[in-house]
Amino acid sequence: MNLSLVDPFILAQDCPETLTGKLRSGSSSQIRFNYRGDLLASGRTDGIISIFDTETCGVARKLRGHTAAIATLSWSKDGRYLLSAGSDCKCVLWDLQDGSRLRTVRFEALIYTAELHPSNHFLFAVSLLSAPALLVDASAEIPKKHALPLKLLQPGRREEDGSKKAAKPHTTAAAFINSGDYLLTATSQGRLNIISTASCEAVLSFQLSSAPITTMRLTNSGRAVAVNSADRVVRTLHLPDFSDEKLDVGNLRLEVEHKFQDVVNRLRWNYVSLSPTGEYVTASTGDNHDIYVWERGQGSLVKILEHSKEELYTVEWHPNKPLIAAAGSESGRIYLWSIVAPQRWSALAPDFVEVEENVEYIEREDEFDIQPLETLHKRRLDAEDEDVDVLTVEPPKAGGSEWEGAFKMPVLLDIEDSDSEDEIEAVGAGQYRRKSPGRNKEWMEGGSGDEKKVNGTAKANGTKRRRGD
Amino acid sequence: MLDDERSPKRRRSPDGYIETNGDGTHFELAERPAPLSGETGTPRHDQLDEDQYAHTFYRGERDGSRSHETSTPASQSVPPEEQTFTPPPEKPTALHYRPKLIMRGHKRAVSAVSFSPDGRWIASASADATIKIWDAKTGRLEHTLEGHLAGISTIAWSPDSTTLASGSDDKSIRLWDVDKVGCPVPHPVPLLGHHNYVYSLAFSPKGNMLVSGSYDEAVFIWDIRSARIMRSLPAHSDPVGGVDFVRDGTLIVSCAGDGLMQLLTCLSHSRIWDTATGMCLRTLIHSDNAPVTSVRFSPNGKYVLAWTLDSSVRLWNYVEGRCVKTYQGHKNERFSLGGAFGTYGDVANPHAFIASGSEDGSIFLWDVSSKNVLQRLEGHDGPVMGVHTHPSERKLVSGGLDKTVRVWVSDDAGPAEEEISANGVNGHQDHPVKEET
Repeated sequence: MNLSLVDPFILAQDCPETLTGKLRSGSSSQIRFNYRGDLLASGRTDGIISIFDTETCGVARKLRGHTAAIATLSWSKDGRYLLSAGSDCKCVLWDLQDGSRLRTVRFEALIYTAELHPSNHFLFAVSLLSAPALLVDASAEIPKKHALPLKLLQPGRREEDGSKKAAKPHTTAAAFINSGDYLLTATSQGRLNIISTASCEAVLSFQLSSAPITTMRLTNSGRAVAVNSADRVVRTLHLPDFSDEKLDVGNLRLEVEHKFQDVVNRLRWNYVSLSPTGEYVTASTGDNHDIYVWERGQGSLVKILEHSKEELYTVEWHPNKPLIAAAGSESGRIYLWSIVAPQRWSALAPDFVEVEENVEYIEREDEFDIQPLETLHKRRLDAEDEDVDVLTVEPPKAGGSEWEGAFKMPVLLDIEDSDSEDEIEAVGAGQYRRKSPGRNKEWMEGGSGDEKKVNGTAKANGTKRRRGD
Repeated sequence: MLDDERSPKRRRSPDGYIETNGDGTHFELAERPAPLSGETGTPRHDQLDEDQYAHTFYRGERDGSRSHETSTPASQSVPPEEQTFTPPPEKPTALHYRPKLIMRGHKRAVSAVSFSPDGRWIASASADATIKIWDAKTGRLEHTLEGHLAGISTIAWSPDSTTLASGSDDKSIRLWDVDKVGCPVPHPVPLLGHHNYVYSLAFSPKGNMLVSGSYDEAVFIWDIRSARIMRSLPAHSDPVGGVDFVRDGTLIVSCAGDGLMQLLTCLSHSRIWDTATGMCLRTLIHSDNAPVTSVRFSPNGKYVLAWTLDSSVRLWNYVEGRCVKTYQGHKNERFSLGGAFGTYGDVANPHAFIASGSEDGSIFLWDVSSKNVLQRLEGHDGPVMGVHTHPSERKLVSGGLDKTVRVWVSDDAGPAEEEISANGVNGHQDHPVKEET
């Protein structure tokens, strides 16, 4: 509802520019926004999952169940269920209504990725180290696991001999495409496969890169995919609408749309992701503190997000705001880049208008006529004859932040007790300070000096350590 | 407890918290600052309007439609096949609320009343430093919440109806777990930070944030989970009278203007804030410059309703920054009165009315578009401080300086309502349902 009042110039900006805040709860290794964008799940190296409320920048819930660092997180579309995979070789399906563990599924190997089916929260795809990827149906207490193929099985063609290679090929990433009828998987041989969810059979397979694919991310609409491969090239592909009945998946030809790389420094990309509309591609860089932002339409580098002071791993776009979150690999802090809107002074002074250039004022015919107050009052009251509708609620625009009837996570009031292991606490939107015994009082000294606090605490908890050269 | 010679600005203690005297047993309970002489004020009870629901409503002359379809239940029972070719039911020109329950128990003036969002409870806050939770159907007193050290000016329900927030003259905001069976206890961590009386509270639609307006001129947004100030809005240079959240939580409106003390004539305005950035997006100011004491977003979030001390309630189109309606007829010159939006007419296609208290002891119900007074409810003995509408039923609750909380039901409510009112007073106006002394 604020959109009608916000400066359209600010609204037109869709790419974050400045570091606006940091979040911290333990040492975060993996982050993921929910589809609605009001919660940010953060998997920590100690196995705890902290759920941040992106509005308050505070921890909304903590989930304990993993014993080792979290590898991936995946939300259900309604935001009620969260799937987490840990380095302890298990996946946990959480119900955020009460924070309970709905299912725990153990695997024989380390888990690369685990992705929830968009509509069926009991179905998820898991890619494992040195083992076939699995489609897991956890609707029953004992989950059913179906192995997913590595490539297209074509009758009449001889199976390639996998024993020639030293490392056994395996799936490195798996994700559902839009409606969940098809899975997109990436392999350590650089192939992309499209697999039918119903039959667990590959319907399309093609070579994308000669090097292993490390990360793969789709937009929420499922129409674009960004793939990071070990040859230090980020590729983007445009996907057809898989919900289209007439689509012949078997005869699809997928072309690489853009290749992004740093030719000079040969930077390694840690993680890639796409903006919600698929317009931008972001990648965090290895041995470097920056996030590169490319524009997908032209294929050009548009921005480098800096000032994180440490190497970043996971990069995530907020689903409907120009906001990028990235987890630092050393401190485990979550950095937020966003757009800073300046205060329009005319908003505070209703009698004034901001104009671009001088405007000649033309006075109204009766502007300076002297009239009795009663007449003016009466005239004003009589002029209020329009029909006013205070009840009809406009349906939210597509992609808006307003989802009526969607799942609302209960607000826990005693979350602070469980957050005591952190030596640093949030005092505002992305503002931090060290915990001190006399808290609740100290902010009073500053008065409205919010600015001071930002600078002051940036130093206090500053990351002075530099990565060793 | 407030007098004109003591400016509250001078009373602000350096550490920002209360000047309590240890045990708090003989702490003088703070009256809400507004009702200075509320207890002694001469109640103006209009004897002419004794026969409540026969004469008190004012028929909208402007509509010209002197409809005698006062018995809307009959018109509602028209078979659907007949309605298909008849025009939509005519807009009623009067409402027929009648008193149903009178709840007594507060020892001092009632400052705010509110239905819980699920409609089960009524919470009433009082200058006697207690909150009472009443059953909305029977009027039975369920709980008395004690913990504040001074009079309570405002209460707000969380959207899930499990938590009640209260703002008090002891400068603290407390949260109460109302959901638990048994006696609700205050949440252990009160929200501390205001330097002066807390006047107004509102929950965000998700229930994760609380906005508070205080006499110390500040507007704070609180993170409910950690009980900390998330953002401080450099809002006003006068005590903040009212705050509210828009229905999707992206906007906050606050108003100020020293409306409660009348010490200064000053800037009086409402401001619209962006929740996410804390930026002021719009300032609304009326040329009459009357102090604004209370604000509320319309149910669809497109308008802002503001109560001003020139006996007017104004509806603003905040996008265009224009006052679209002025509702008058009531008396509001000293107190911070409250009110609410309600609906009437056809259930499927309702019309909206605005309910507000008045300092002459009545409750005014205006039609939003025509500005006509649909009904004037008499019963309170002294200024009516708070009026709230039931979230789903055609019911009103009001509280006033006469220490009572009253529930009013509409005759248009239909037959389902009748059996419930069998528990009530059924028209006997002054029959106390719950007496607590």
